[in-house]
Amino acid sequence: MAALIQRLRRDYFANRVDAAISVLLLLLLGTALVAVARWALFQAQWAVIQVNATLFALGRYPLEQQWRLWLITALLAAASGSSWGLLRALPRRDRRLEAELWPANDRIAVASFAALALAIPALLGLSPGLQLRWWLISALLLASRWACGRWGRGRRGRQALRLLPLAWPCLYLFALGLIGGGLGLISVPPGEWGGLLLTLVQASLAILLCFPLGVLLALGRRSKLPLLRWSSVLYIEFIRGAPLITLLFLGQNILGFLLPGGVAPERVWRASLVLTLFAAAYLAEAVRAGLAAVPRGQLEAARSLGLSTAQAMARVVLPQAIRTAVPAMVGQFISLLQDTTLLSLIGLLELLGTARTVMANPAFLGRNAEVYLTLAILFWCCCAALGLGSRALERRLNPNTTA
Amino acid sequence: MIEASGVQKWYPNGFHALRGCDLRVARGEVVVIMGPSGSGKSTFLRTFNALEDFQQGSIVIDGIPLTDDLRQIDAIRREVGMVFQQFNLFPHLTVLQNLTLAPVLVRRRPQAEVEAQARRLLERVGIAEQADKFPGQLSGGQQQRVAIARSLCMEPRILLFDEPTSALDPEMVREVLDVMQTLAREGMTMVVVTHEVGFARQVAHRVVLMAEGEVVEEAAPQQFFTAPTHERSRRFLEQIL
Repeated sequence: MAALIQRLRRDYFANRVDAAISVLLLLLLGTALVAVARWALFQAQWAVIQVNATLFALGRYPLEQQWRLWLITALLAAASGSSWGLLRALPRRDRRLEAELWPANDRIAVASFAALALAIPALLGLSPGLQLRWWLISALLLASRWACGRWGRGRRGRQALRLLPLAWPCLYLFALGLIGGGLGLISVPPGEWGGLLLTLVQASLAILLCFPLGVLLALGRRSKLPLLRWSSVLYIEFIRGAPLITLLFLGQNILGFLLPGGVAPERVWRASLVLTLFAAAYLAEAVRAGLAAVPRGQLEAARSLGLSTAQAMARVVLPQAIRTAVPAMVGQFISLLQDTTLLSLIGLLELLGTARTVMANPAFLGRNAEVYLTLAILFWCCCAALGLGSRALERRLNPNTTA
Repeated sequence: MIEASGVQKWYPNGFHALRGCDLRVARGEVVVIMGPSGSGKSTFLRTFNALEDFQQGSIVIDGIPLTDDLRQIDAIRREVGMVFQQFNLFPHLTVLQNLTLAPVLVRRRPQAEVEAQARRLLERVGIAEQADKFPGQLSGGQQQRVAIARSLCMEPRILLFDEPTSALDPEMVREVLDVMQTLAREGMTMVVVTHEVGFARQVAHRVVLMAEGEVVEEAAPQQFFTAPTHERSRRFLEQIL
């Protein structure tokens, strides 16, 4: 207790100026917190969220087909759990690194996840059936983590870990197929997807596709071939010079003319095409900065060992460049996720679009604050997840930060 | 093994870096190139494996003429190893992976066989226990020894050294020079750009002095360090001895 008081005094009240700043900030924070709490608990009417929860989550996705989405969620939970367990089961050979990557109190992470998974569905006041489903899915995640952590010690785990980068894309494609309805299922056209589902599909598709495109553009920009270099520069600078919203409108209007024979894809796909092309230009710049940060000697060493330019790029230069570029790229991905809100302006019913239709409903007149706050929290959760993932990736990829 | 004659190089900005350099290196010979900084010695060395191009003259490595033909350049690079001043190890790969990358990728040899060879080589340069570490976790001297082992893993016929000890702390120079000396004794053909007089005296068969992009003097080390024939060599030796 005495130590705590001493620390408080040292960190917050060391001298008069410090004390004044602390008191002022505490007052400000306190008032803000009280105001928000009072509003959230007594004035706000959360019925608008509870009644429309399915709409926010899925849009107009047919009710009787929702089991597919539950299946996907369960599969994703199982995959996340197994990946977590496998990574945990196989520490890196370097002990120092391992301590940093996987804190010894990994159990605390599990416990807090379990607590959140138990509390959030209950606090949201979901119907008992829904609550039960979320609890089961959380339990599935933890169970697969535990099982894979057990199973994956030693050789088997190392092999399974090598399969992970393959398993996730397969799962992703399978999920897309399930959502849209291949595999003999009733087709659900993209026009009926909405809400968080559409937001996540759009963002993930653009993130996945813009990555290879961005790397190619970055390489093109540094190429020795003048035509390739100049077309890359032209493309990147044109895209970066135009606001996304104009490009989105442009995409809706002219893509139909550009593609042969009136095979203009569905509006949703047109939008994700534009998002991908847009993000690729920004990603290319991030990768270019990473490429520039790799010392010239690396390429020279690789070439003098007899590697061809392509081999040297793929095995020596690019891995280092992408490692350097990860923070900037994740920044791009996060803004890409947020940029999907612009799709509401071209009439797609993703999260913001759905929210606007809900708010236009006379039954929920004047409930804008509740809706926008929920949206903000949802986006914040997605972005926080991206950020956390990227930081873990960064540390795992970069052996030299701890050396 | 190396026959360079009349090599001339201009940099794109017009600087005349090499003004007609000649050098012949026989199999198993160790040649040390010395000279003041900016004399073109590193540039000359780097033309031997086409890291620098040249505009006039000719270079023949082990019977293969060095031209713009990419296939010939690749063939030469497979036979010529290079050790750099800044080590240039691949920081994202472990020491062992640094060694095995090129033999597996370029020579298409089986992974297990290359790995065994790599461990033997690491043993030889005295750092077998570091095989699973990353380069950033090693000292400068250890890194340079890994770099030498990495070159050897390709089983080159010629090794080029570009100031291999210049970036090292003084107490680590010895361990690297020892490895190089052993290699020389085992009959490796070596061209070494260095300022290490002791190494040149003990190990080199010939010492070459370069100044202002030209080969000024070529002599046995004994003669070079005691009775240089050229005025330019005398001035250089006065500065470094």
